[in-house]
Amino acid sequence: MRCWLAGRGRGSGCTATAAQRRRRLAGCRHQTTTPSMPWAEPGLRRKRSAAAPRRLVPRGFSMAAVFADLNVPGAPERKSLQSLLEAAAHLGYSTVAINHVIDFKEKKQEIVKPISPSELFPSLPIVQGKSKPIKIVTRLTLVVSDPSHCNVLRSTSTNIRLYDIIAVFPETEKLFHVACTNLDVDLICVNVTEKLPFYFRRSSVNMNNFSTCHLYLSTVVMGARENPQLRKAIDRGVYFELLYTPAIKDSTMRRYTISNALSLMQICKRKNIIISSAAERPLELRGPYDVANLGLLFGLSESDAKAAISTNCRAVLLHGETRKTAFGVVYTKKTHRASEEEGVLPVRKKAKTEV
Amino acid sequence: MSVPLRRLRETPRHLLVCEKSHMRHERSRHAAHVRSHAYNCRVSFLIPECGILPEALKSVITDIGEYYLVKNLSLHELVTHEFINTFVKKGKLIISVDKDTYEELGLQGRPSQYSGKKVMRYIVTIDLTDSAFDPDSKKHKRVLWALKEKKPLEFDFLLSWHNKGAEGSTLMSYFSKNQIQAHQPKATFSTLRNLQCPVLHSNELHGKLEESCSAQELFEWLGAVCNKVGLDNKSFSFLSTCCCPQPSTVVEQAYLCTITGFILPEKIIQLLEQLCCYFDEPKLAQWVTLTVHGFADSPVSWRESEHGFQKGGENLYNFVVFRNLDYWLQMAVGANDDCPP
Repeated sequence: MRCWLAGRGRGSGCTATAAQRRRRLAGCRHQTTTPSMPWAEPGLRRKRSAAAPRRLVPRGFSMAAVFADLNVPGAPERKSLQSLLEAAAHLGYSTVAINHVIDFKEKKQEIVKPISPSELFPSLPIVQGKSKPIKIVTRLTLVVSDPSHCNVLRSTSTNIRLYDIIAVFPETEKLFHVACTNLDVDLICVNVTEKLPFYFRRSSVNMNNFSTCHLYLSTVVMGARENPQLRKAIDRGVYFELLYTPAIKDSTMRRYTISNALSLMQICKRKNIIISSAAERPLELRGPYDVANLGLLFGLSESDAKAAISTNCRAVLLHGETRKTAFGVVYTKKTHRASEEEGVLPVRKKAKTEV
Repeated sequence: MSVPLRRLRETPRHLLVCEKSHMRHERSRHAAHVRSHAYNCRVSFLIPECGILPEALKSVITDIGEYYLVKNLSLHELVTHEFINTFVKKGKLIISVDKDTYEELGLQGRPSQYSGKKVMRYIVTIDLTDSAFDPDSKKHKRVLWALKEKKPLEFDFLLSWHNKGAEGSTLMSYFSKNQIQAHQPKATFSTLRNLQCPVLHSNELHGKLEESCSAQELFEWLGAVCNKVGLDNKSFSFLSTCCCPQPSTVVEQAYLCTITGFILPEKIIQLLEQLCCYFDEPKLAQWVTLTVHGFADSPVSWRESEHGFQKGGENLYNFVVFRNLDYWLQMAVGANDDCPP
């Protein structure tokens, strides 16, 4: 694999391995390039531990999006999904994540390849107020109730890697703890609308080392003292998500949502929160500024509430992007070579070229 | 639990600065304030006890000048020395960019004052008439490279030029290849009947109980009138509980005119002068108001003060001119804004 490392005065090329030479002959070559980003600190490149604290933006990732809705359930019918997307674009959301839920309790659940949005919708609606079309990303939510269900994340199944955001919905406290500490996911979903049989402790929130963590809980144990681990988790980029559509639908759910959200705010000190819908119909979607005002009800401040649907969502998407890279610095891009070239030129080392 | 409830009772941060002076006073700063607020998108004035617009005001409105719309204009065209020498006598280019664009652009800027811990907005200021910005200087080359090759930025521009009769090319001819379109500001006129107006005394800015209303109450009432909010406060109406501040009088008719477009400060000063001249002849009206709104997403408000958009990007000012040419000036800004001068 050819690789070039970004850096001041640094650059190195490596020879291609035999496997890569074979792949090259087959007409397709994987070329590793480093994105054009600010110089990456040595610490980021050498770190082999879990998530690097700061992730850099890969080239080509343009966050033109200002507001994002990261939970739009993927409907089986194209028409209803199309109307949902049109409603979201009309309301001003620049990015929408289509959620595909896999419940391991049901039998024979396979993780299918995500359908590319460009195949589903040849023409995407234009976001109101901007001249660009709405951006669609794919999201996978795994409902886990058993530790064995988490093995699918460790497997090298390619289908999971194709999703932009991966979320997990733990149903027991132990699994929540495991999800917070070990699993390589972007989001952790918890239901705010039901009484769950487990409590949420500050310590597991502390151990959370993921970009975003959805928190659903009906009762929360609050410690009186400041927990330094919680601060550490938030420093690493833990986000907590709240769903607002259940609050719209039913008054009991509204009460649970608000009370859980308020207790959540007290624990995480209003940092790293995301608010998203789980809207199944266009009528259940609300505009970004309305959602930000709803965030005031949940206990957020004005600027935190606006960040909950804009900057924090951007951070989640970046986290999902960098999961496909090596520590957020190096990523691969598939390039195709014309087949006529094969067999003409002998395989040889290519000279180092500028990225 | 009490903290969010307390927060819900608070209104979003806003600032209202009220000033009082006389139009003909030698140290009156009304013209300076108007000139420093460059980007105006809406001007409206209200004349109580007036049914027909005076001719002088009508001529100022028709003469307000046109503005131009250029679509997909590359930003680097505005930093070429040809443009600067023709149209810009003294000026700066201020670009407000988000974090990703700033990192891709590569120009030096400062973080926005209203960013908090995580900076998501940066302000890049380029002084176009600085001596360091000569055609062959490194600074100029760097700026051109950044805007042309590194991160080409294209925007739709609204342009307006205060031409003091100078010869040379005009905006239309300079941007002819960019499909420049000229627009006239739109003016709407309406006569309001049986309007309740507050009683004001020019030297009582804070109002006096039972005698006059305060500047703040007037400001709220004027906003309601311009937005056609019902001020009856009827019991069955759930839309608004606003009502006219007391003490008030009922006027038979009031003239409200709104002009929308990209309006230059010089024209606003002319309009203000004409409103002062309205009182040359004896009139029933005790006062007239002139309200000017700035663009909600403009990067600057007054002079170079940063203007942010949190949930509403209001930056406006309002003149209340009395019969004796005393005036009140109220300047209002929203959440992410510096205090007006």
